[in-house]
Amino acid sequence: MDFELTDEQQLIREAGREFAETEIAPIAAELIPKLSDLNLMGMPYPEKAGGAGADYVSYVIAIEEISRACASTGIIVSAHTSLATWPVYKFGTEAQHDRYLADMASGRRLGAFALTEPAAGTDAGAGTATAVRSGGEYVLNGTKMFITNAPYAEVYIVFAKTDPAQGTRGMSAFIVEKDTPGFSVGEAEHKLGIRGSSTPPIYFADCHIPADALLGGEGDGFRVAMQTLDGGRIGVSAQALGIAQAALDASVAYAKERVQFGKPIATLQAIQWMIADMATQVDAARLLVYRAASCVDNGRPYSTEGAMAKLFASETATRVADRAIQIHGGYGYTESYPVERNYRDAKITELYEGTSEAQRMVISRSYLR
Amino acid sequence: MSVNAWIVVGDQPTVGNLVTVARTLGGQVAAVVAGPRPVAETVAAGGVDRVVWCRAPDDVPAEASASAVADVVAADPPRVVLAGRNPGERVLLGAVAARLRAAVLTGARSVSLDGSDVTVVNAVFGDIADETVSVSGPVALLLDGGAVPAATGSGVPIEEVAVTPLGMKVVETRMAGFDEVDLHAAHRVIGVGRGLKAREDLAMIGELAHAINAEIACSRPVAEGLNWMGKDRYIGSSGARISPQLYFAVGISGQLQHMVGVTGAETIVAINSDPNAAVFGQTDYGLVGDLYQLVPAITAALK
Amino acid sequence: MRIVIAYKWTCDPEEATVRPDGTVDWSRAKPGISTYDPVATELARRLAEEAGAELIGVTVGAKGVGAPLASKAALGRGLDRVVIVEDDSLAEAGRSELAAVLAGVIRHIGEVDLVITGDSSVDVAAKMVPTVLAGELGWPAVAEVTAVTGQAGKLRVERAIPGGVQVLEITGPAVLAASADAAVPRVPGMKELLAAAKKPVELLDLAALTVPAPGAVMTVTSRSRPDRKARKGQLLDTADPAAAAAELVAALRGAGVL
Repeated sequence: MDFELTDEQQLIREAGREFAETEIAPIAAELIPKLSDLNLMGMPYPEKAGGAGADYVSYVIAIEEISRACASTGIIVSAHTSLATWPVYKFGTEAQHDRYLADMASGRRLGAFALTEPAAGTDAGAGTATAVRSGGEYVLNGTKMFITNAPYAEVYIVFAKTDPAQGTRGMSAFIVEKDTPGFSVGEAEHKLGIRGSSTPPIYFADCHIPADALLGGEGDGFRVAMQTLDGGRIGVSAQALGIAQAALDASVAYAKERVQFGKPIATLQAIQWMIADMATQVDAARLLVYRAASCVDNGRPYSTEGAMAKLFASETATRVADRAIQIHGGYGYTESYPVERNYRDAKITELYEGTSEAQRMVISRSYLR
Repeated sequence: MSVNAWIVVGDQPTVGNLVTVARTLGGQVAAVVAGPRPVAETVAAGGVDRVVWCRAPDDVPAEASASAVADVVAADPPRVVLAGRNPGERVLLGAVAARLRAAVLTGARSVSLDGSDVTVVNAVFGDIADETVSVSGPVALLLDGGAVPAATGSGVPIEEVAVTPLGMKVVETRMAGFDEVDLHAAHRVIGVGRGLKAREDLAMIGELAHAINAEIACSRPVAEGLNWMGKDRYIGSSGARISPQLYFAVGISGQLQHMVGVTGAETIVAINSDPNAAVFGQTDYGLVGDLYQLVPAITAALK
Repeated sequence: MRIVIAYKWTCDPEEATVRPDGTVDWSRAKPGISTYDPVATELARRLAEEAGAELIGVTVGAKGVGAPLASKAALGRGLDRVVIVEDDSLAEAGRSELAAVLAGVIRHIGEVDLVITGDSSVDVAAKMVPTVLAGELGWPAVAEVTAVTGQAGKLRVERAIPGGVQVLEITGPAVLAASADAAVPRVPGMKELLAAAKKPVELLDLAALTVPAPGAVMTVTSRSRPDRKARKGQLLDTADPAAAAAELVAALRGAGVL
């Protein structure tokens, strides 16, 4: 069992870090052209599809390094690559590939994934957005919440019920382009963390889209969504890993410099044990995240493995960020130090792309079938 | 009498330290100048035994005479060749070192000649360690050139050599309008780094500099276009190495490449918003905080 | 046009520690491309984009400088191929010896129009290898280069001088040492890094190159750790900037510094 990274994976990590150190800017969305130029916006897709042809482990390492510097930028990349581009790649027709794939896999056109509704979060099947067939068109009506990358995204993967009576089996997926009449974006959400990631609600009011905007078959939507989230959660687990690593690094540096009782606090056993626990948890999270990515690379099932990675890495991120503030003491509570931002950013990783409870559902189902 | 030490000079006669070192080695000290004639004249009056001036057309840089300089030195090969830390002199010294197949050392703390061997105490790896090196054969040394050598009573005649220059000429010179400074002479220096966000903020630094009678310097600006000061104000392994009484490091992270330029300072004060900055391990007084508040506060406190 | 970028695979002294006996412990340091070499590569790439050129990376040193990771790191920055001399006899080589070997490689490659190097290496920082190399080749050399344009046989080189910039025209091949702040190197793209493994790597035998014998022998007779001036390391409480400023000024006056 070889736990070492390949040369390419190491170099990709270094390039990700170089990008993060030289380019991460206050407004994350402004980075998108630069991310595209470096093929960071569609890494795992084949070169002929417009991507970088990278393996999934490399992709996950890039998200980790970017998130270590800025969790908001990390989720912009992950949501675009794993949530928006993947369903087009996997379920798109040739015509849809021609129309969208090269642009999305290269990052030229930003994507978004619209499943969540005000009354449908973990219970995604309870969505009430509808898509009514009318001649050569569908008419969309409904509201979607917390849509990462709106309004900058040009291509939206939208889930709506073509047959509400069928419950989850009546849900279908659609590709909707920005500026389609009847499609509008609401006000920015004010969040605890990942404030650089725009997540407004989006509204469909008699929004007419062509029939060939259907992604997959009618009734396939729920399956498309769940399979997409299986991969998306590996990206989020990498984001959580990056946040946790940032908090750990800050704590190690601070512990060595902060002097109390005449010595650096790194000499105190209480701090040493905190660091030991944090480091072990981050390392364990890393192994789970890379293992899940490795399953994708090796063509093995990754749903449960991804859920384990996401569950563990997200809870590790919040735990490690909490301990990081504890190690920093009062200073950790101020904006002068990076750990308060790690703390605020970490929490979302336990909530989106499947709450920790949803992950537990996935994992337990695979064991208790 | 054969030459024991050659001093290689380019456009500037700032070789006082080289003359001093060469003299301590004993034997004949000669200088070869690839710059304007007045430079040769200053050096000729500066305490050397022999001066050769390489005369080249006006529109060629000193570097174009590198081959000619190597010819001059090779005709009278010495134990030691010395040059100052300037880009032009490095090129000339390189040509000489290649011609003589000389050993090259650039961190000499001291040089001595015992019998047939040249002994150099050489600082290595960003000055983190010292090596005492014994060299049999010719040695090329890059040293701080020092000031313009004072005129001694009798000068020596200038031997003129016509140069066939290498294929390079100056086609344009654009001055940036920075006033020049000699940081080595300053007792107090304030260094600024990337923590300073805008060029306009130099005014705030200037007020503190005025209050304590300090020169302003900077760490290497990595970002292109961050051309806020003349290059003679850069402190670090590729810039000036200074030993002022007081050094303020403002918004400087404290990387080895910069700090090696100020380890000789008597007192170092650092201001940085990053509590984990390496600079705080190398200061006498450290202030973790916003320089935009602390610098004006210190200026005010001095009144 | 054929451009050679001479790079170094080495460790940053920032990660090294010095033992009390003066020897340097590099065990915690990880080697990488020397810090300023990507700046040189960036200048070369810009020239290649303007004038069309083959970009050839060259490095010489002890075993390890030709490791796949090292070559991929260099090739991943836009080089077309790399040529390497890996020989343990170069482990303790001085500047002039390395320059002589580099000259041998450049002669072997042949028809080189330009050699670009970084300002200096991150570990030794001598700033002499490029100039001795030029001496070995008999070519013009310029240091502190901030930009290079033009074409083979007619290069237009901008270099920093005190107070400004000077533009030189160089006919024929030359060695240029890029100023460390000449450019911000572009971050390697994902496709470039993944394509690096497919690019040619040529390993040359040191014995097969004609390298003249050194004219001087250097022997290290002793090592020591320089006395680093002990610093007070006092951190002032900065909760109130005015109070911190007053405390600092009082301390500096008390110490006779102000």
